[in-house]
Formats: sequence, structure tokens, C-alpha cells
Amino acid sequence: MSEILSRPDNLPDYQNPPLNEVVLGVQFAPAQGYQQIRAGEVWKLYQSDFPLVEEQLPIPPNFETFGLPFQGNALNFGFVTGAMHDRFWFLSPSKDELIQFQPDRLLHNWRKVKGHNNSYPRFEKIIASFEKELFCLEQYFRSLSPQDIKCNQAEISYINYIPLDHDGPRSQFSNWLRFLNFGNPEPDDASVTLRRTLIRSDGAPYGRIICELNTALNPQGARMLVLTLTVRGAPLDQSISAALQFLKGGRDVIVEEFTSITTDSAHELWGRVR
Amino acid sequence: MNRTRFAAASMQQLRIETGADVVSHAAFSSNIVCEPRRAWWHPIVARLDELCKLPIGWDGYHAPPVLFGNAYFAINMLASACPFDAPEPQIVPGSNGDLQIEWHTETADIELHVRAPNDVDAWRAQTSTPDHEDQLHLTIDFKVVAGWLAELSETPIAARSSAA
Repeated sequence: MSEILSRPDNLPDYQNPPLNEVVLGVQFAPAQGYQQIRAGEVWKLYQSDFPLVEEQLPIPPNFETFGLPFQGNALNFGFVTGAMHDRFWFLSPSKDELIQFQPDRLLHNWRKVKGHNNSYPRFEKIIASFEKELFCLEQYFRSLSPQDIKCNQAEISYINYIPLDHDGPRSQFSNWLRFLNFGNPEPDDASVTLRRTLIRSDGAPYGRIICELNTALNPQGARMLVLTLTVRGAPLDQSISAALQFLKGGRDVIVEEFTSITTDSAHELWGRVR
Repeated sequence: MNRTRFAAASMQQLRIETGADVVSHAAFSSNIVCEPRRAWWHPIVARLDELCKLPIGWDGYHAPPVLFGNAYFAINMLASACPFDAPEPQIVPGSNGDLQIEWHTETADIELHVRAPNDVDAWRAQTSTPDHEDQLHLTIDFKVVAGWLAELSETPIAARSSAA
């Protein structure tokens, strides 16, 4: 993992990026011998650093597949298989980091929290924690039945909050984003999603980058852009190491994409150093 | 867990506003939902739903129902592989939570065995080449199958044209 812990020299870097949340996630085949009644045992693996618990709705499975040009997403159906496992949030005391767990997923979120001046700890630190959490979970699953975690998808998301001034040079979409110029007057609201297939050097697809842009209001009622960049796909093999490599590559794709679609003046404001 | 609860797990609801001034993003939830428009889409989804609810031992032995993840993967695979005019497939449950998706026509037979997500055996036999069968192991790229299904959709039209 040492290569994961170092940041590529050529990757753009910002001193003060508009980042609000980062999510690393792995989806895997449900473990043999695990049932929801054992969720407390999973919490115990992480409880010392994540002592708070919340229950959430489970996330449906998600797969990026390829073939025909995109023809719509297949998610909108409601399979039910009887009893469903909750998704548990295990939160740090300040709630700026959390682990999300359900039988086929482990996720790690970092997020800005109101009232806390928590700065972004950087990808290298987050993925190092996530690596430990994944191997810890695998060890637990092995205690139930001889098995490895078999990863079938990995995903990384960067969620940016970009404030829109009421007027002036930072009030328009085009002040921040190269690909949006509506002219005058600009729309009040906008919602844009861009998807692009990611291709390996041998020409095979391995994932997608999804760029979602939405206008929103922050808790103070001021307008902002929420720019979410996600890379999702299948790791090279089913191992945890391959999933972590996918996430590392996904981070690089996201940072490059973010730099490509945002303006030079925005980069200056965010303290681009590379 | 009932249907309503699971169906409610949409992107918006997975982004839960917390008291801490953040929107907690749930990974794996950020797709734009837009169903393919194939005529047989809803019956196929209903069939998969039914197969996921099979009782344990449905085969007279100890077979489990089709696994939830396999069904979800299959539906994504179909969206990637099936042209809009592809004929409706048959779906057959396996004895290990797996499933097989099949097309049988006068000109060709195609079978996709979904062993697990990213683990699919694809097979095709054509009446025009009785000594040859196509057999592939596929993971996430179903371009080849899309080609097979396009040929399957086109063949009757071509046959009619030449007959005329």
C-alpha cells in the first residue's frame, strides 16, 4: 500500500478546495454466516473510534456494465427478498467521519461539520483508514466462515460546495465552470449530469466518471453549486488490494476532471499550487 | 423491510440532511434513474423479482432463491446488452442463487449464465454454422452479446427480404 500513501507528483493540488465530503466505498458479495443480528459485532470492530450509531435505509446494489451506448439506468425496480439488513452508520464523536456498513458494502465518509473547523485530512489518510477497516472486516468475516471479501464494485465520490455570490465576479455558473455558459440572464436553477466511460490501456472499459451539478441552498439560505464527482466500476480482481487501487486511480481521475472543468479564476481562489 | 421501504432508498433519500450541516452522501446511489424502454422490460423485472422470492428448496432439494446481487447485476447487464428491438429472454433460476438468461429462436440460441456479479458465461449456437459455437467468459463488458442480439433481431427481417 505504500504507493497508495503517496500523492502523484503531477496531480493538481489545492490549498483550499471547496470540498465538503469525500466517500470511499466497496461493494462485495455478502459474507457467509453473517446475519443482521451480528451487526453489533461489526460495530465492536470500530467502536473505539466510531462510538456513535445511526440506522439508515440500505443502498441497493449498483453495477457499472458496458456494451451498447448508455440507454438509461436499470435501477428503478423494487426487488424484495424478504428481510433486509439496515445500513449502519458508525460515527466519530465529532461526526466528521463515519463508516457505513451493510452486508454487501463498507463505506468511509469524511465530511465538513458545522461548528467544527475540520480541514480535509487528504485522500492518503482516508484511504489508509479505509484499508484497515476493510481488512478488519475481512478478518471478522473469516471468523464466521473461511472466506475472503470478494469485491465486485468500488466507488469514490468528491462532493464540492461552491458558493454563488448574489452578484459580481463569482455569481455566475461560468465564473466557476468552463462548460456552463448560459448567457444572460442565467437560469435560477440547474441540474446537469455527465457520464463518461473510463477505458484501460488495453481498450477495455473498467468504470465510469459521473459528474453531477446541482444548484442548492446552504443552511444560511445562500445559493451554491453542489458539484459531485464520482468514479465507480469494477476493480481488476476481487481482492481488497485491487479495490483500493481502483479507488486510488479514481481519485486521480476525479482531481484531473475537477481541474479540467473548473475555471482558472476558481483555481486561483482555491489556492492551486500545482 | 417492505417494498415501499426499499423502493424509498432513492438518491435523494440516501442523501440525508443531518443536524451537522452536511449532506451525507451514500456511495453507489448517484445514478440518474431512467428506465430502458424495451417492451418486455417490466415483465422481466417482475420475473427477476419473483425468482428472488423463491422459497429455499424450490427445486425439491436445497436450492436458495436467486441472489439479490445476481438479479441486480443481470438487469444492468441486460440494459447494456439488449438493443431496443431484442426479443424477450427467458430467465431460469440456478441451484446456487445464480441464474441463466436465454434466447431461443429459429436462427440462434444464446445463453448467459450469471454465476455472480462480473462472472458470466456466454454461449451462442447458430443454425447457419452448426459446427461452431461461441463461448466466452465475460465480466462487465457485454458489447459482444449486444452484437449477437442485434443479429438475432435482424435475421428474420433479412430472411424476409431475401424471400421477397
